[in-house]
Amino acid sequence: MLVVDLIRHLECFVAVAEESHFGRAATRLNMAQPPLSQRIQRLERELEVRLFDRTSRQVVLTKAGTLLLPEAREVLARAGTLRAAALRIRDGESGLLRAALPPDIAGTTVAALLSEFRANCATVELELHELSTAEQLERFASQGLDVGLVHHPCDVTGLELGPVLRRDLGVLLPRDAPAAQHTEVPLAALAEHDLVLFPRAGSPALYDDLLTTCARGGYTPPAVRHGRGASFVRGLVLSAAAVALAPRDTADDTTPPGLVWRPLAGAPLAWRHSAAWPRGHGDAAVRAFADAAAHALRTTADARPDTPTRPTYLRPAAEYWL
Amino acid sequence: MTDTLTALRTAFTDAGVTGRIHALDIGSGAELDLYGDELVCTASIHKLPLLVTLHERAAAGDLDLTEQIDCPPLGRPAGPTGLAAMLDVARLSLRDLAYLMMAVSDNAAADLLLDRVGLDAVNRTAARLGLSRTTVTHSFGEMMASVKQDAGPGGAQALADPHVVARLRALDPAWGNRSTPRELTRLLAAIWRDEVCTPENGDAMRRLMALQVWPHRLASGFPFDDVHVAGKTGSLPTLRGEVGVVEYPDGGQYAVAVFTRTLSTAAIVPAADAVIGTAARIAVDALRERRTQKGMRSAEPG
Repeated sequence: MLVVDLIRHLECFVAVAEESHFGRAATRLNMAQPPLSQRIQRLERELEVRLFDRTSRQVVLTKAGTLLLPEAREVLARAGTLRAAALRIRDGESGLLRAALPPDIAGTTVAALLSEFRANCATVELELHELSTAEQLERFASQGLDVGLVHHPCDVTGLELGPVLRRDLGVLLPRDAPAAQHTEVPLAALAEHDLVLFPRAGSPALYDDLLTTCARGGYTPPAVRHGRGASFVRGLVLSAAAVALAPRDTADDTTPPGLVWRPLAGAPLAWRHSAAWPRGHGDAAVRAFADAAAHALRTTADARPDTPTRPTYLRPAAEYWL
Repeated sequence: MTDTLTALRTAFTDAGVTGRIHALDIGSGAELDLYGDELVCTASIHKLPLLVTLHERAAAGDLDLTEQIDCPPLGRPAGPTGLAAMLDVARLSLRDLAYLMMAVSDNAAADLLLDRVGLDAVNRTAARLGLSRTTVTHSFGEMMASVKQDAGPGGAQALADPHVVARLRALDPAWGNRSTPRELTRLLAAIWRDEVCTPENGDAMRRLMALQVWPHRLASGFPFDDVHVAGKTGSLPTLRGEVGVVEYPDGGQYAVAVFTRTLSTAAIVPAADAVIGTAARIAVDALRERRTQKGMRSAEPG
């Protein structure tokens, strides 16, 4: 009986639950109180559970209501995205695509991405934001973003991903450091230098992975110094005879003359990127952005497909087995 | 309370995981909750509801736990332990299959038991205990087969690729066997309070949970000889969990359910295993502190 109107009834349920008050909920829904009460009663009959305990002054969620509230919110959220997707589909290829890039993408890559996207998706208006991976994930959750380019590892729950691309990391070091003599620097040659790295809180898994791989390659920095902005990091490298990890495309004309960039021997370290979007919402515009981002990274930032090449030996405690 | 939740969040973040936890003081009913009502994939933790159903049916006289079962090597589901890893024919009693299922998470033993009691029976048990969001939809062999299929020809190696992990059906709680941390602590409390079936069955279930061999998760948070830990782990690519009961010599009993997802796709992440123990310890310490405060208050002159 409620199939068609379930969404409307659930909106009433969520409003009453959030306001804890029929009058306030009715105002918020722009309707009178009696029909709101009727809707709640009808929903309770349909679901065969009591959602609220009503006293003369107050409305309180029952245990059942508390359990069903997140489910109701989920259904409403899905209905909202359905409407948004329908709008874009109904309008053909027109509409707005809200997309994001992380701050470490070079200007040339952004330009290549934009021109490729415009060539393939001319009628879609692109609203581009500069957001960190964490910020992008938050926006996906609150439905404020359609597609983005994220750093891995990150929490991919509820997301679909494009193919993962790697940007090999090289090392930025003082021009007069002995290790700068190598055309490709072995990690072990950096042994005497402190390492400048982003603060761990920004991406603990990546931070640990970088340090573990450095150690495995024979480089355990005497000290790790933290820096985020490109100029600050370069300043630390110059003044403290430290080294920093950076992809090739971040070493450009603005690099101070006292610094050089060198690839690392065997390319043991990398940043990994992929396009990401909420599961089930990959329409033509989203895919055009994902393709344009991948193409731009490949052509301007030396990015290449990241196919795992090292073996994986599962151990019994893994509990799964292929 | 807020401090405890902050400490839990920090512990999870530091370990490079997202985490959910529900902890319950079985004696007082006091609880601690961080996303405890979110649906989670149970993976091998669903061997616990299966164990409960097995004992429930034994208590009802539907089956005899000493019944011998033939375990042919053909068609055994994939797994690194127990019968799933063995090559030859075996013949074991239902209760010894249950031992392998709980002690080393044997997928082959679990599926033989699941065949014997039936999927629907496991769901009926959950419903009877009021666990409305605890559902089993497929066998453990089918779960493993789905991972293999979704991983594709690259095998275990392909699971290092986030692109592959994102498409694993086994990691979608809407698809697979599922529950919530809160419902699982409720199940543990029911087992510990002998509300599920007879005390003899209760003893048998608690014995098996205490025989689990893994030291690296829940148990790692309680490095004390006089603290008893009994649990069941569950794992899939990037997913790690354990539910169990921690018992202190003063009689305190705490049911804990912890679920994590690593951000990294690496198979071996010791910090992600250990944080399950760390988080459980933070939660149990907080629940024990509340007990003490309550005890002190009631001891105050009125």
